[in-house]
Amino acid sequence: MRELFLDEGLEDCVLDDLRHLWETKMMESKAMDDFRKNNSDSPNFVLQLPPNYSRNDAEHAAPVVIPASQNIHSFPVQNNSETLATFSLPAGLSYPVQIPAGVTLQTATGQLYKTVTERIEPPVPPPASSQPTERLPREPSPVPVPTLVDSLPPLDSFSLPSQESSLPQQDPMPEYPQFEIGSEEVLTDTPQFKSSDIDDILKVVIEEEREKAARARNLAHAKFYDQPQSVLGLDLDYNYNALSDIVQLDGAADNSDLEEEDVSLEENDFLGMINAEALKALQEGGVSSDGNSSSSSSDSEEAEELDQVEDEDPLNSGDDVFEQDIPDLFDSENIIVCQYDKIHRSKNRWKFHLKDGVMSYGGRDYVFSKAIGEAEW
Amino acid sequence: MDSNNDDTLDIIITNVVATFRTRCHLNLRTIALEGTNVIYKPEVGKVLMKLRKPKITASIWSSGKIICTGATSEEEAKQGARRLARCLQKIGFKVRFSAFKVVNVLAVCSMPFAIHLVDFTKKNRPIASYEPELHPAATYRIKTIKATIQVFSTGSLTVTGPNVQNVATAVEQVYPLLFECKKPLCK
Repeated sequence: MRELFLDEGLEDCVLDDLRHLWETKMMESKAMDDFRKNNSDSPNFVLQLPPNYSRNDAEHAAPVVIPASQNIHSFPVQNNSETLATFSLPAGLSYPVQIPAGVTLQTATGQLYKTVTERIEPPVPPPASSQPTERLPREPSPVPVPTLVDSLPPLDSFSLPSQESSLPQQDPMPEYPQFEIGSEEVLTDTPQFKSSDIDDILKVVIEEEREKAARARNLAHAKFYDQPQSVLGLDLDYNYNALSDIVQLDGAADNSDLEEEDVSLEENDFLGMINAEALKALQEGGVSSDGNSSSSSSDSEEAEELDQVEDEDPLNSGDDVFEQDIPDLFDSENIIVCQYDKIHRSKNRWKFHLKDGVMSYGGRDYVFSKAIGEAEW
Repeated sequence: MDSNNDDTLDIIITNVVATFRTRCHLNLRTIALEGTNVIYKPEVGKVLMKLRKPKITASIWSSGKIICTGATSEEEAKQGARRLARCLQKIGFKVRFSAFKVVNVLAVCSMPFAIHLVDFTKKNRPIASYEPELHPAATYRIKTIKATIQVFSTGSLTVTGPNVQNVATAVEQVYPLLFECKKPLCK
Protein backbone atom coordinates (compact mmCIF):
# COMPACT_ATOMS: atom_id res chain seq x y z
CA MET A 1 0.00 0.00 0.00
CA ARG A 2 2.75 2.25 0.96
CA GLU A 3 4.47 1.45 -2.23
CA LEU A 4 1.40 2.35 -4.20
CA PHE A 5 1.22 5.62 -2.48
CA LEU A 6 4.84 6.25 -3.06
CA ASP A 7 4.42 5.45 -6.66
CA GLU A 8 1.86 8.12 -6.99
CA GLY A 9 4.19 10.56 -5.52
CA LEU A 10 2.33 11.07 -2.31
CA GLU A 11 4.19 11.24 0.84
CA ASP A 12 4.20 8.76 3.54
CA CYS A 13 2.66 11.13 5.96
CA VAL A 14 -0.42 11.28 3.80
CA LEU A 15 -0.88 7.64 4.35
CA ASP A 16 -0.31 8.04 8.01
CA ASP A 17 -2.78 10.85 8.19
CA LEU A 18 -5.34 8.76 6.42
CA ARG A 19 -4.75 6.00 8.82
CA HIS A 20 -5.14 8.18 11.83
CA LEU A 21 -8.29 9.69 10.42
CA TRP A 22 -9.69 6.32 9.80
CA GLU A 23 -8.75 5.11 13.21
CA THR A 24 -10.49 7.93 14.90
CA LYS A 25 -13.56 7.39 12.86
CA MET A 26 -13.64 3.75 13.61
CA MET A 27 -13.19 4.48 17.25
CA GLU A 28 -16.01 6.91 17.20
CA SER A 29 -18.30 4.49 15.57
CA LYS A 30 -17.21 1.92 18.07
CA ALA A 31 -16.67 -0.51 15.31
CA MET A 32 -14.41 -3.36 15.77
CA ASP A 33 -11.29 -2.51 14.05
CA ASP A 34 -8.51 -4.32 12.55
CA PHE A 35 -5.74 -1.97 12.07
CA ARG A 36 -3.84 -2.96 9.11
CA LYS A 37 -1.56 -0.18 8.88
CA ASN A 38 1.28 -0.05 6.62
CA ASN A 39 3.86 1.07 8.94
CA SER A 40 7.23 0.37 7.79
CA ASP A 41 8.72 1.27 11.06
CA SER A 42 10.28 -1.30 13.13
CA PRO A 43 7.84 -4.10 12.75
CA ASN A 44 7.67 -5.74 16.01
CA PHE A 45 4.95 -8.06 16.83
CA VAL A 46 4.32 -8.68 20.44
CA LEU A 47 2.74 -11.80 21.62
CA GLN A 48 1.32 -11.54 25.06
CA LEU A 49 0.28 -14.66 26.72
CA PRO A 50 -2.24 -14.92 29.48
CA PRO A 51 -0.87 -15.54 32.87
CA ASN A 52 -1.71 -19.17 32.98
CA TYR A 53 0.70 -19.79 30.29
CA SER A 54 3.50 -21.70 31.68
CA ARG A 55 6.77 -22.37 30.21
CA ASN A 56 5.55 -25.68 29.03
CA ASP A 57 2.69 -24.15 27.26
CA ALA A 58 5.04 -21.80 25.69
CA GLU A 59 6.79 -24.73 24.30
CA HIS A 60 3.60 -25.94 22.84
CA ALA A 61 3.20 -22.57 21.40
CA ALA A 62 6.64 -22.77 20.06
CA PRO A 63 5.56 -24.17 16.77
CA VAL A 64 4.59 -20.83 15.52
CA VAL A 65 4.98 -21.74 12.01
CA ILE A 66 5.45 -19.38 9.25
CA PRO A 67 5.31 -21.55 6.28
CA ALA A 68 5.51 -18.84 3.77
CA SER A 69 8.53 -17.15 5.00
CA GLN A 70 11.70 -18.62 6.00
CA ASN A 71 12.08 -16.54 9.06
CA ILE A 72 12.05 -18.44 12.19
CA HIS A 73 11.73 -16.02 14.93
CA SER A 74 13.31 -16.39 18.18
CA PHE A 75 11.25 -15.50 21.06
CA PRO A 76 12.80 -13.31 23.56
CA VAL A 77 10.67 -14.01 26.51
CA GLN A 78 10.23 -11.46 29.14
CA ASN A 79 8.22 -11.89 32.19
CA ASN A 80 6.72 -8.84 33.62
CA SER A 81 5.41 -8.50 37.06
CA GLU A 82 2.13 -10.08 36.22
CA THR A 83 3.64 -13.23 35.01
CA LEU A 84 2.64 -12.57 31.51
CA ALA A 85 4.94 -13.95 29.02
CA THR A 86 5.69 -11.60 26.29
CA PHE A 87 7.07 -12.59 23.02
CA SER A 88 8.05 -10.26 20.36
CA LEU A 89 8.18 -11.37 16.85
CA PRO A 90 10.75 -9.88 14.66
CA ALA A 91 10.04 -7.84 11.67
CA GLY A 92 9.54 -9.18 8.26
CA LEU A 93 6.75 -11.34 9.37
CA SER A 94 4.88 -12.77 6.52
CA TYR A 95 1.71 -14.60 6.82
CA PRO A 96 0.13 -16.91 7.58
CA VAL A 97 1.17 -16.97 11.14
CA GLN A 98 -0.02 -19.66 13.34
CA ILE A 99 -0.69 -18.56 16.82
CA PRO A 100 -1.61 -20.89 19.58
CA ALA A 101 -4.85 -20.72 21.36
CA GLY A 102 -5.55 -18.28 24.09
CA VAL A 103 -2.92 -15.88 23.06
CA THR A 104 -3.49 -12.21 23.13
CA LEU A 105 -1.66 -10.33 20.53
CA GLN A 106 -0.76 -6.79 20.84
CA THR A 107 0.47 -4.93 17.92
CA ALA A 108 2.96 -2.22 18.04
CA THR A 109 0.37 0.45 18.03
CA GLY A 110 -1.40 -1.13 20.94
CA GLN A 111 -4.10 -3.04 19.14
CA LEU A 112 -5.07 -6.13 20.95
CA TYR A 113 -6.08 -9.35 19.45
CA LYS A 114 -6.93 -12.33 21.46
CA THR A 115 -7.05 -15.66 19.83
CA VAL A 116 -9.58 -18.22 20.84
CA THR A 117 -9.33 -21.80 21.54
CA GLU A 118 -11.03 -22.53 18.31
CA ARG A 119 -9.95 -21.92 14.88
CA ILE A 120 -9.93 -18.31 14.18
CA GLU A 121 -8.09 -15.77 12.21
CA PRO A 122 -7.41 -12.91 14.48
CA PRO A 123 -6.29 -10.00 12.49
CA VAL A 124 -2.61 -9.68 12.38
CA PRO A 125 -1.51 -6.34 11.23
CA PRO A 126 1.42 -5.94 9.07
CA PRO A 127 4.60 -5.22 10.80
CA ALA A 128 3.87 -2.41 13.10
CA SER A 129 6.09 -0.18 14.97
CA SER A 130 7.29 -1.29 18.28
CA GLN A 131 5.37 -0.45 21.32
CA PRO A 132 5.91 -0.84 24.98
CA THR A 133 4.62 -4.12 25.98
CA GLU A 134 2.98 -3.12 29.13
CA ARG A 135 -0.09 -5.03 29.89
CA LEU A 136 -3.18 -3.66 31.33
CA PRO A 137 -4.04 -4.95 34.72
CA ARG A 138 -7.28 -6.27 33.43
CA GLU A 139 -5.60 -8.25 30.82
CA PRO A 140 -5.32 -11.46 32.71
CA SER A 141 -8.77 -12.65 32.07
CA PRO A 142 -8.01 -15.43 29.78
CA VAL A 143 -11.56 -16.56 29.83
CA PRO A 144 -12.92 -16.03 26.40
CA VAL A 145 -15.97 -14.16 27.36
CA PRO A 146 -18.21 -12.49 24.89
CA THR A 147 -18.78 -9.46 26.95
CA LEU A 148 -20.21 -6.99 24.61
CA VAL A 149 -21.98 -9.58 22.64
CA ASP A 150 -23.80 -10.77 25.67
CA SER A 151 -24.85 -7.33 26.48
CA LEU A 152 -26.65 -7.06 23.22
CA PRO A 153 -30.33 -7.64 23.56
CA PRO A 154 -31.34 -11.07 22.51
CA LEU A 155 -32.15 -11.06 18.89
CA ASP A 156 -34.65 -13.78 18.82
CA SER A 157 -36.27 -13.30 15.57
CA PHE A 158 -33.31 -11.92 13.85
CA SER A 159 -30.69 -14.55 13.43
CA LEU A 160 -27.59 -13.52 11.67
CA PRO A 161 -25.26 -16.17 10.62
CA SER A 162 -23.16 -13.37 9.48
CA GLN A 163 -19.75 -13.49 8.17
CA GLU A 164 -16.96 -11.16 8.66
CA SER A 165 -16.36 -9.66 5.40
CA SER A 166 -13.41 -7.93 6.73
CA LEU A 167 -11.71 -8.50 9.93
CA PRO A 168 -11.95 -5.01 11.25
CA GLN A 169 -15.65 -5.22 11.34
CA GLN A 170 -17.92 -6.76 13.76
CA ASP A 171 -20.81 -9.06 13.26
CA PRO A 172 -23.57 -9.56 15.71
CA MET A 173 -23.96 -13.19 16.51
CA PRO A 174 -26.95 -14.08 18.54
CA GLU A 175 -25.79 -17.53 19.51
CA TYR A 176 -22.96 -17.85 21.88
CA PRO A 177 -22.51 -21.54 22.23
CA GLN A 178 -19.32 -22.08 24.04
CA PHE A 179 -18.37 -18.89 25.62
CA GLU A 180 -20.68 -18.30 28.49
CA ILE A 181 -18.06 -18.52 31.10
CA GLY A 182 -18.10 -15.82 33.67
CA SER A 183 -20.16 -13.58 31.51
CA GLU A 184 -21.67 -11.81 34.44
CA GLU A 185 -18.50 -10.73 36.00
CA VAL A 186 -17.12 -9.49 32.83
CA LEU A 187 -20.30 -7.69 32.03
CA THR A 188 -19.68 -5.55 34.99
CA ASP A 189 -16.32 -4.84 33.60
CA THR A 190 -17.79 -3.86 30.34
CA PRO A 191 -18.76 -0.38 31.33
CA GLN A 192 -15.35 0.08 32.71
CA PHE A 193 -13.99 -1.15 29.49
CA LYS A 194 -16.01 1.27 27.60
CA SER A 195 -14.96 4.12 29.66
CA SER A 196 -11.33 3.35 29.49
CA ASP A 197 -9.04 3.81 26.68
CA ILE A 198 -9.15 2.44 23.26
CA ASP A 199 -7.09 -0.57 24.01
CA ASP A 200 -9.67 -1.92 26.32
CA ILE A 201 -12.43 -1.40 23.89
CA LEU A 202 -10.47 -3.17 21.29
CA LYS A 203 -9.74 -6.01 23.56
CA VAL A 204 -13.32 -6.60 24.38
CA VAL A 205 -14.28 -6.21 20.83
CA ILE A 206 -11.68 -8.66 19.82
CA GLU A 207 -13.15 -11.20 22.10
CA GLU A 208 -16.41 -10.83 20.36
CA GLU A 209 -14.82 -11.06 17.07
CA ARG A 210 -13.24 -14.22 18.19
CA GLU A 211 -16.62 -15.73 18.74
CA LYS A 212 -17.90 -14.67 15.47
CA ALA A 213 -14.85 -15.66 13.63
CA ALA A 214 -15.17 -19.05 15.17
CA ARG A 215 -18.59 -19.35 13.72
CA ALA A 216 -17.63 -17.49 10.68
CA ARG A 217 -15.12 -20.17 10.06
CA ASN A 218 -17.79 -22.50 9.05
CA LEU A 219 -19.52 -20.08 6.84
CA ALA A 220 -18.75 -18.68 3.51
CA HIS A 221 -15.38 -17.43 2.68
CA ALA A 222 -14.17 -14.14 3.91
CA LYS A 223 -13.34 -11.47 1.51
CA PHE A 224 -9.79 -11.11 2.26
CA TYR A 225 -8.56 -14.53 2.78
CA ASP A 226 -9.34 -18.02 1.72
CA GLN A 227 -10.71 -20.78 3.77
CA PRO A 228 -8.57 -21.03 6.79
CA GLN A 229 -6.72 -24.18 7.12
CA SER A 230 -8.03 -26.32 9.82
CA VAL A 231 -4.87 -26.79 11.65
CA LEU A 232 -4.59 -27.35 15.26
CA GLY A 233 -4.27 -24.02 16.90
CA LEU A 234 -4.86 -20.99 14.86
CA ASP A 235 -4.07 -19.83 11.49
CA LEU A 236 -3.65 -16.36 10.34
CA ASP A 237 -4.20 -16.66 6.73
CA TYR A 238 -3.34 -13.65 4.79
CA ASN A 239 -1.57 -12.43 1.86
CA TYR A 240 0.02 -9.14 2.08
CA ASN A 241 -1.80 -8.26 -1.11
CA ALA A 242 -5.03 -9.02 0.58
CA LEU A 243 -4.11 -6.60 3.26
CA SER A 244 -3.64 -3.82 0.85
CA ASP A 245 -6.95 -4.70 -0.65
CA ILE A 246 -8.49 -4.29 2.70
CA VAL A 247 -7.29 -0.78 3.08
CA GLN A 248 -8.53 0.16 -0.33
CA LEU A 249 -11.89 -1.32 0.20
CA ASP A 250 -12.67 1.26 2.77
CA GLY A 251 -12.56 4.04 0.34
CA ALA A 252 -12.81 2.76 -3.15
CA ALA A 253 -15.67 0.41 -2.82
CA ASP A 254 -17.90 2.98 -1.29
CA ASN A 255 -21.05 3.43 -3.16
CA SER A 256 -22.75 6.67 -2.58
CA ASP A 257 -26.02 4.81 -2.35
CA LEU A 258 -24.99 2.89 0.63
CA GLU A 259 -24.19 5.80 2.84
CA GLU A 260 -26.13 4.94 5.90
CA GLU A 261 -26.37 8.42 7.20
CA ASP A 262 -28.40 9.62 4.30
CA VAL A 263 -31.29 7.38 4.91
CA SER A 264 -33.19 7.49 8.08
CA LEU A 265 -35.62 4.66 8.05
CA GLU A 266 -38.42 4.09 10.38
CA GLU A 267 -38.57 0.73 12.04
CA ASN A 268 -41.34 -1.40 13.26
CA ASP A 269 -41.41 -2.58 16.77
CA PHE A 270 -39.99 -5.92 15.83
CA LEU A 271 -36.35 -6.33 16.34
CA GLY A 272 -34.43 -6.43 13.23
CA MET A 273 -37.22 -5.22 11.07
CA ILE A 274 -35.83 -3.38 8.19
CA ASN A 275 -37.82 -1.24 5.99
CA ALA A 276 -37.03 -3.75 3.37
CA GLU A 277 -39.16 -2.14 0.81
CA ALA A 278 -37.43 1.13 1.21
CA LEU A 279 -34.09 -0.55 1.07
CA LYS A 280 -35.05 -2.39 -2.02
CA ALA A 281 -36.23 0.77 -3.58
CA LEU A 282 -32.96 2.33 -2.65
CA GLN A 283 -31.07 -0.35 -4.44
CA GLU A 284 -33.30 -0.42 -7.41
CA GLY A 285 -33.32 3.30 -7.66
CA GLY A 286 -29.75 3.41 -8.65
CA VAL A 287 -27.27 6.04 -7.91
CA SER A 288 -28.82 9.16 -9.26
CA SER A 289 -32.23 10.15 -8.18
CA ASP A 290 -34.24 11.28 -11.06
CA GLY A 291 -37.17 11.50 -8.72
CA ASN A 292 -36.68 15.20 -8.52
CA SER A 293 -37.11 15.72 -12.19
CA SER A 294 -40.13 13.50 -12.45
CA SER A 295 -41.84 15.04 -9.47
CA SER A 296 -41.45 18.47 -10.95
CA SER A 297 -43.04 17.30 -14.13
CA SER A 298 -45.86 15.73 -12.18
CA ASP A 299 -46.38 19.03 -10.40
CA SER A 300 -47.05 20.73 -13.67
CA GLU A 301 -49.51 18.06 -14.56
CA GLU A 302 -51.23 18.44 -11.26
CA ALA A 303 -51.63 22.14 -11.86
CA GLU A 304 -53.51 21.44 -15.00
CA GLU A 305 -55.72 18.86 -13.40
CA LEU A 306 -56.56 21.11 -10.55
CA ASP A 307 -58.12 23.49 -12.99
CA GLN A 308 -60.48 20.85 -14.24
CA VAL A 309 -63.84 20.47 -12.66
CA GLU A 310 -63.94 17.50 -10.42
CA ASP A 311 -66.91 15.22 -10.39
CA GLU A 312 -66.91 14.12 -6.83
CA ASP A 313 -64.27 15.29 -4.54
CA PRO A 314 -65.28 15.10 -0.95
CA LEU A 315 -61.70 15.28 0.21
CA ASN A 316 -61.52 18.94 1.08
CA SER A 317 -57.84 19.43 0.94
CA GLY A 318 -57.28 17.11 3.82
CA ASP A 319 -59.36 18.97 6.36
CA ASP A 320 -61.96 16.30 6.55
CA VAL A 321 -59.57 13.50 6.43
CA PHE A 322 -58.47 12.13 9.73
CA GLU A 323 -54.88 11.99 10.74
CA GLN A 324 -53.11 8.75 11.16
CA ASP A 325 -54.18 7.13 14.32
CA ILE A 326 -51.00 5.20 14.45
CA PRO A 327 -48.15 7.23 13.17
CA ASP A 328 -44.82 5.67 12.58
CA LEU A 329 -44.35 3.32 15.42
CA PHE A 330 -40.99 4.54 16.44
CA ASP A 331 -38.23 6.16 14.59
CA SER A 332 -35.49 4.00 15.88
CA GLU A 333 -31.99 4.62 14.82
CA ASN A 334 -31.37 0.99 14.07
CA ILE A 335 -30.79 0.85 10.40
CA ILE A 336 -29.44 -1.56 7.89
CA VAL A 337 -28.14 -0.60 4.50
CA CYS A 338 -27.41 -3.55 2.31
CA GLN A 339 -28.16 -5.42 -0.85
CA TYR A 340 -30.68 -8.18 -1.05
CA ASP A 341 -30.58 -11.65 -2.43
CA LYS A 342 -34.19 -12.42 -1.85
CA ILE A 343 -37.01 -10.85 0.04
CA HIS A 344 -40.07 -12.98 0.55
CA ARG A 345 -43.44 -12.27 2.05
CA SER A 346 -46.39 -14.49 2.92
CA LYS A 347 -49.30 -12.53 4.23
CA ASN A 348 -47.58 -10.67 6.99
CA ARG A 349 -44.56 -12.89 7.43
CA TRP A 350 -41.40 -11.58 5.86
CA LYS A 351 -38.17 -13.38 5.20
CA PHE A 352 -35.00 -11.57 4.21
CA HIS A 353 -31.89 -12.87 2.58
CA LEU A 354 -29.51 -9.99 2.59
CA LYS A 355 -25.92 -9.53 1.64
CA ASP A 356 -23.08 -7.10 1.90
CA GLY A 357 -24.44 -4.69 4.36
CA VAL A 358 -23.63 -2.33 7.14
CA MET A 359 -25.90 -1.81 10.02
CA SER A 360 -26.13 0.30 13.08
CA TYR A 361 -27.83 -1.51 15.87
CA GLY A 362 -27.97 -0.65 19.49
CA GLY A 363 -25.58 2.15 18.90
CA ARG A 364 -22.96 -0.11 17.47
CA ASP A 365 -21.96 -0.61 13.92
CA TYR A 366 -21.73 -3.94 12.25
CA VAL A 367 -20.93 -5.23 8.83
CA PHE A 368 -22.02 -8.45 7.28
CA SER A 369 -21.63 -10.23 4.03
CA LYS A 370 -24.73 -12.29 4.54
CA ALA A 371 -27.71 -11.89 6.74
CA ILE A 372 -30.93 -13.81 7.07
CA GLY A 373 -33.88 -12.42 8.91
CA GLU A 374 -37.51 -13.02 9.63
CA ALA A 375 -40.09 -10.64 10.82
CA GLU A 376 -43.79 -10.18 11.22
CA TRP A 377 -45.49 -7.06 10.19
CA MET B 1 -80.25 -10.54 6.58
CA ASP B 2 -82.18 -13.65 5.80
CA SER B 3 -85.88 -13.33 6.00
CA ASN B 4 -86.56 -16.99 5.67
CA ASN B 5 -87.44 -19.62 8.18
CA ASP B 6 -86.69 -19.63 11.83
CA ASP B 7 -82.98 -19.69 11.54
CA THR B 8 -81.15 -16.64 10.30
CA LEU B 9 -78.16 -17.07 8.17
CA ASP B 10 -74.99 -15.22 9.00
CA ILE B 11 -73.52 -13.60 6.00
CA ILE B 12 -69.95 -12.73 6.76
CA ILE B 13 -68.28 -10.20 4.52
CA THR B 14 -64.69 -11.21 4.09
CA ASN B 15 -63.41 -8.80 1.49
CA VAL B 16 -64.39 -5.47 0.02
CA VAL B 17 -62.56 -4.14 -3.00
CA ALA B 18 -62.82 -0.48 -3.86
CA THR B 19 -61.11 1.87 -6.23
CA PHE B 20 -60.63 5.59 -6.28
CA ARG B 21 -58.63 8.13 -8.13
CA THR B 22 -56.27 10.77 -6.87
CA ARG B 23 -56.64 12.95 -9.92
CA CYS B 24 -52.94 13.47 -10.09
CA HIS B 25 -49.99 11.62 -11.37
CA LEU B 26 -48.12 9.80 -8.67
CA ASN B 27 -44.42 9.23 -8.63
CA LEU B 28 -44.14 5.65 -7.53
CA ARG B 29 -40.52 5.91 -6.66
CA THR B 30 -41.12 8.78 -4.29
CA ILE B 31 -43.90 6.89 -2.65
CA ALA B 32 -41.74 3.83 -2.35
CA LEU B 33 -38.90 5.76 -0.79
CA GLU B 34 -40.79 7.97 1.56
CA GLY B 35 -43.92 6.06 2.34
CA THR B 36 -44.19 3.73 5.27
CA ASN B 37 -45.13 0.10 4.87
CA VAL B 38 -44.79 0.09 1.13
CA ILE B 39 -43.79 -2.61 -1.28
CA TYR B 40 -42.50 -1.41 -4.59
CA LYS B 41 -43.10 -3.61 -7.58
CA PRO B 42 -41.36 -1.93 -10.49
CA GLU B 43 -41.84 -4.93 -12.74
CA VAL B 44 -45.56 -4.44 -12.63
CA GLY B 45 -45.41 -0.71 -12.12
CA LYS B 46 -47.23 -0.33 -8.87
CA VAL B 47 -46.69 0.26 -5.21
CA LEU B 48 -48.47 -1.73 -2.54
CA MET B 49 -49.19 0.11 0.63
CA LYS B 50 -50.51 -1.77 3.58
CA LEU B 51 -52.42 -0.11 6.32
CA ARG B 52 -52.85 -1.64 9.71
CA LYS B 53 -55.79 0.16 11.16
CA PRO B 54 -58.33 -0.81 8.65
CA LYS B 55 -56.43 -3.87 7.50
CA ILE B 56 -56.11 -2.79 3.94
CA THR B 57 -53.74 -3.33 1.08
CA ALA B 58 -53.78 -0.74 -1.63
CA SER B 59 -52.29 -1.00 -5.09
CA ILE B 60 -51.17 2.39 -6.21
CA TRP B 61 -50.55 3.08 -9.84
CA SER B 62 -48.70 5.98 -11.27
CA SER B 63 -51.75 7.20 -13.13
CA GLY B 64 -53.33 7.93 -9.78
CA LYS B 65 -55.68 5.01 -9.71
CA ILE B 66 -55.73 3.16 -6.45
CA ILE B 67 -57.30 -0.19 -5.75
CA CYS B 68 -58.04 -0.86 -2.12
CA THR B 69 -58.54 -4.43 -0.93
CA GLY B 70 -58.93 -6.27 2.32
CA ALA B 71 -61.58 -4.23 4.06
CA THR B 72 -64.38 -5.98 5.86
CA SER B 73 -67.13 -3.49 5.19
CA GLU B 74 -67.96 -0.76 2.75
CA GLU B 75 -67.57 1.88 5.36
CA GLU B 76 -64.23 0.55 6.34
CA ALA B 77 -63.17 0.52 2.74
CA LYS B 78 -63.98 4.16 2.36
CA GLN B 79 -62.29 5.03 5.59
CA GLY B 80 -59.20 3.16 4.58
CA ALA B 81 -59.17 4.77 1.18
CA ARG B 82 -59.34 8.23 2.65
CA ARG B 83 -56.60 7.41 5.07
CA LEU B 84 -54.50 6.23 2.21
CA ALA B 85 -55.14 9.39 0.29
CA ARG B 86 -54.12 11.31 3.35
CA CYS B 87 -50.89 9.33 3.44
CA LEU B 88 -50.13 10.24 -0.12
CA GLN B 89 -50.98 13.83 0.54
CA LYS B 90 -48.49 13.87 3.38
CA ILE B 91 -45.81 12.55 1.11
CA GLY B 92 -46.41 15.60 -0.98
CA PHE B 93 -48.70 14.78 -3.80
CA LYS B 94 -51.68 16.98 -4.57
CA VAL B 95 -54.14 14.24 -3.94
CA ARG B 96 -57.85 14.63 -4.34
CA PHE B 97 -60.17 11.90 -3.28
CA SER B 98 -62.46 11.29 -6.16
CA ALA B 99 -64.46 8.55 -7.80
CA PHE B 100 -64.55 6.25 -4.84
CA LYS B 101 -66.40 3.12 -5.85
CA VAL B 102 -66.78 -0.25 -4.21
CA VAL B 103 -66.11 -2.69 -6.95
CA ASN B 104 -66.50 -6.05 -5.35
CA VAL B 105 -67.77 -7.55 -2.14
CA LEU B 106 -66.99 -11.09 -1.15
CA ALA B 107 -69.03 -12.80 1.52
CA VAL B 108 -69.36 -16.31 2.86
CA CYS B 109 -72.42 -17.98 4.19
CA SER B 110 -73.18 -21.39 5.48
CA MET B 111 -76.37 -23.33 5.04
CA PRO B 112 -77.44 -25.57 7.87
CA PHE B 113 -77.78 -28.42 5.43
CA ALA B 114 -75.80 -30.15 2.75
CA ILE B 115 -76.73 -29.73 -0.84
CA HIS B 116 -77.05 -32.12 -3.69
CA LEU B 117 -75.24 -30.22 -6.37
CA VAL B 118 -76.23 -32.32 -9.35
CA ASP B 119 -79.91 -31.90 -8.56
CA PHE B 120 -79.44 -28.21 -7.97
CA THR B 121 -77.73 -27.76 -11.26
CA LYS B 122 -80.31 -29.76 -13.13
CA LYS B 123 -83.14 -27.67 -11.72
CA ASN B 124 -81.48 -24.38 -12.52
CA ARG B 125 -80.06 -25.37 -15.83
CA PRO B 126 -79.01 -22.23 -17.55
CA ILE B 127 -78.25 -20.18 -14.50
CA ALA B 128 -76.22 -22.71 -12.55
CA SER B 129 -73.21 -24.56 -13.87
CA TYR B 130 -71.32 -27.38 -12.29
CA GLU B 131 -68.14 -28.96 -13.53
CA PRO B 132 -66.82 -31.23 -10.80
CA GLU B 133 -63.60 -31.93 -12.64
CA LEU B 134 -62.75 -28.27 -12.70
CA HIS B 135 -64.09 -27.00 -9.44
CA PRO B 136 -65.93 -28.70 -6.63
CA ALA B 137 -68.60 -26.02 -6.39
CA ALA B 138 -71.58 -25.20 -8.52
CA THR B 139 -71.64 -21.64 -9.82
CA TYR B 140 -74.92 -19.76 -9.81
CA ARG B 141 -74.93 -16.40 -11.52
CA ILE B 142 -77.74 -13.96 -11.00
CA LYS B 143 -77.65 -11.58 -13.92
CA THR B 144 -80.08 -9.05 -12.59
CA ILE B 145 -78.08 -8.17 -9.55
CA LYS B 146 -74.79 -9.23 -11.08
CA ALA B 147 -73.95 -11.56 -8.25
CA THR B 148 -72.16 -14.88 -8.40
CA ILE B 149 -72.72 -17.60 -5.85
CA GLN B 150 -70.54 -20.61 -5.49
CA VAL B 151 -72.37 -23.48 -3.86
CA PHE B 152 -70.46 -26.27 -2.20
CA SER B 153 -71.89 -29.62 -1.38
CA THR B 154 -71.28 -29.05 2.32
CA GLY B 155 -73.73 -26.20 2.28
CA SER B 156 -71.16 -23.42 2.33
CA LEU B 157 -71.61 -20.53 -0.01
CA THR B 158 -69.36 -17.84 -1.26
CA VAL B 159 -71.07 -14.85 -2.76
CA THR B 160 -69.50 -12.06 -4.74
CA GLY B 161 -71.30 -9.00 -5.90
CA PRO B 162 -70.85 -5.30 -6.56
CA ASN B 163 -72.03 -4.24 -3.17
CA VAL B 164 -73.20 -5.61 0.11
CA GLN B 165 -76.85 -5.14 -0.60
CA ASN B 166 -76.66 -7.19 -3.74
CA VAL B 167 -74.89 -9.93 -1.92
CA ALA B 168 -77.60 -10.13 0.67
CA THR B 169 -80.28 -10.18 -1.96
CA ALA B 170 -78.50 -12.95 -3.79
CA VAL B 171 -78.38 -15.13 -0.73
CA GLU B 172 -82.04 -14.61 -0.15
CA GLN B 173 -82.79 -15.47 -3.70
CA VAL B 174 -80.84 -18.65 -3.75
CA TYR B 175 -81.85 -19.97 -0.40
CA PRO B 176 -85.17 -21.53 -1.44
CA LEU B 177 -83.57 -23.13 -4.44
CA LEU B 178 -80.95 -24.69 -2.29
CA PHE B 179 -83.48 -25.78 0.23
CA GLU B 180 -85.20 -27.82 -2.42
CA CYS B 181 -82.08 -29.72 -3.21
CA LYS B 182 -80.83 -30.30 0.21
CA LYS B 183 -79.36 -33.64 0.83
CA PRO B 184 -81.22 -35.91 3.16
CA LEU B 185 -79.70 -37.28 6.29
CA CYS B 186 -76.98 -39.21 4.60
CA LYS B 187 -74.66 -36.26 4.25
